[in-house]
Amino acid sequence: MINKREAKAGLYKETLIAGLWRENPVFRLLLGMCPTLAVTAAVKPALTMGLSVIFVLLCSNIVVSLMRNFLKPHLRILMFTLTIATFVTIADLFLKAFVPRMSETLGPYVPLIIVNCIIICRSEACASKNLLGLSIIDAVGMGVGFTITLCALAGVRELLSTGKIFEVQLMPDAFVPWAAMSMPVGAFLTLGLLLGLVNAITGRKT
Amino acid sequence: MLKLKYFIQQSWLLIVSSFCFGLLIAATNAALSPRIEQNKIDKLNRLAGALLPKAEHFVPLDTKIEIASLRGKKEKVQVYKAVTETGECVGWNFNAAGPGFQDKIELVIAVDKDFLKLAGFGVLASNETPGFGDQIKDGYFRNQFKAAPVGELKLAKTGDSAKIDSEIVAITGATVSSEAVVDIINNSLTQIKDQMHKQGLIGDDK
Repeated sequence: MINKREAKAGLYKETLIAGLWRENPVFRLLLGMCPTLAVTAAVKPALTMGLSVIFVLLCSNIVVSLMRNFLKPHLRILMFTLTIATFVTIADLFLKAFVPRMSETLGPYVPLIIVNCIIICRSEACASKNLLGLSIIDAVGMGVGFTITLCALAGVRELLSTGKIFEVQLMPDAFVPWAAMSMPVGAFLTLGLLLGLVNAITGRKT
Repeated sequence: MLKLKYFIQQSWLLIVSSFCFGLLIAATNAALSPRIEQNKIDKLNRLAGALLPKAEHFVPLDTKIEIASLRGKKEKVQVYKAVTETGECVGWNFNAAGPGFQDKIELVIAVDKDFLKLAGFGVLASNETPGFGDQIKDGYFRNQFKAAPVGELKLAKTGDSAKIDSEIVAITGATVSSEAVVDIINNSLTQIKDQMHKQGLIGDDK
């Protein structure tokens, strides 16, 4: 009995850590590249996008896990998309109502969460095959992993393009902002360098 | 009969969940739409209010004015009458859009009550190059438009930006964005002024 409980706790821990590092959606699975490149010019929009993804991922994983026994194999992708689209629309309405400026900054990238590969991937790979508890842990791990990655990327870009993070001046006055870092070129450059860094740390050759 | 049974067997989950999700979105929308509408009104009031500080209310005109956009399409523009607490007209404002350097630029444009002088413009949405084109939002560029005569504004590459006349000094390194703003203002203002004259909304005795 104790062994079973321990094994379960171990599995939960493993699943949580997988999303944060070993199977990090951006650095290891290279999923969700569109928002990763598009909304990371500053930390605030990146954080908002990350939180929206956590909400959608959590809700869709819960619903998919609950309906997993009724899913018909050939209709499952349709069901996943329907579920995800519902929660993305709700998240979009919430952002428009409570943080309208952030909603404008993120523009079409909030509705685009519907086709974010991370969420469909987790519905297919985890929620449609596992119990509710594990699906929730998986959603939290993957969502938080995605958010941290987005914020790390946005932190580097915002610091170099404005010298500030969250409106707080961190660079010395003599620092000349690199405008290119807030443009698409800065996104590709930072992502490439961070991916290289993560690969170097894990010692994997790609 | 068998066919119908097969159809229901296969799709009952899809039909039921579509209904539930639809209901969920409708409920969220009903709960949040007043707030979202209020946010839009607040934003317009904030932007237009900064341009026409004496105005207390912005009253939409009953009929929209049709103009030819810069892309050659017919567009309907909602013009707002800016009135003081006592009901006196202090100016007009409306939104106009046109192609920028990278993406569409949307402006809110305000003029005085006789359509003779510009009260200024505010940027509702733009995606211009950070550090260059996005300086269209900055005071030193926008101030050139305050009290500039309504008519054909011209863009100059050099000159005195502090002088208020029909000559607008372009932003260094962002001629296309500067030109886009001038074109949007010229195109919309001249047509709206004509139409409002024809409708008798502005004129010698108004």
